[in-house]
Amino acid sequence: MNNIELSDSKLVSLYIKGNEESFEVLLNRYKSKVFTNIYLIVKDTYIAEDLTQDTFIKAIKTLRSGRYNEEGKFKPWVLRIAHNLAIDHFRRKKRYPTIVMEDGSNVFNTLEFSEAPYENFQVQEDTKKKLRSFIEELPENQREVILMRHYQEMSFQDIAESTDVSINTALGRMRYALINLRKKMKQHKIAYDSNIYPT
Amino acid sequence: MIQTFTQLDLIRFIYNETTTEQNRDIELALLCNNELMEEYKSLKSTVATLSEVSYTPSNSTLENILNYSKSTNLHTAH
Repeated sequence: MNNIELSDSKLVSLYIKGNEESFEVLLNRYKSKVFTNIYLIVKDTYIAEDLTQDTFIKAIKTLRSGRYNEEGKFKPWVLRIAHNLAIDHFRRKKRYPTIVMEDGSNVFNTLEFSEAPYENFQVQEDTKKKLRSFIEELPENQREVILMRHYQEMSFQDIAESTDVSINTALGRMRYALINLRKKMKQHKIAYDSNIYPT
Repeated sequence: MIQTFTQLDLIRFIYNETTTEQNRDIELALLCNNELMEEYKSLKSTVATLSEVSYTPSNSTLENILNYSKSTNLHTAH
């Protein structure tokens, strides 16, 4: 299926008529945005995995039941489901705090972040894991602006409004985030050309 | 040459959030100022590296979603 030509509303319409492939296209189109949106709130990769699954399952249930009435607006709709589920979790977590390790990480959150698809790409995957860990180590406001700009494709103006700061503050946070990441990459000898794209 | 933009404008330039006019000024300044060019290259390569990092759910989560979808498809004979 050509996912460039088909709009969200067309894909939704096809899915409701029974075309499974169209949902796969929607899932691939929005999986990263939904996941990042949730992660920004819950700040735990494994809870974000679970809530991403819950989000899409809730979307499927609504689409299957015929209650979906936001044709053409799939993206804000599915992101709103994700946001609400993440907020619900956050509120529950406040009532039932999780056990944390000495370094502050969740006691259950010790597995890999994502699955490496092929052994041949292990070197690249290791580098990517390191980069993700560098992002995790950034101060929260710098990490947040990276996630919003890179993975949610928000403009700096949108980020400023969403985080209730001036656009210059948002830009400044991004600049420091990039400088800090660069420093960490240098310290760990991660070079863009030689490791990400090995020859 | 008087520099009419800030380091924050350089960030906006890297992320394609500057106007055509601002782009011309910044491109000219980059050609005339080695220090600025080095900072630009450094920031740009970090941004390019970030694009290689994905925040996506695992394959097993995606499979679970797709399997759930298939299991609820009334149009398909099970």
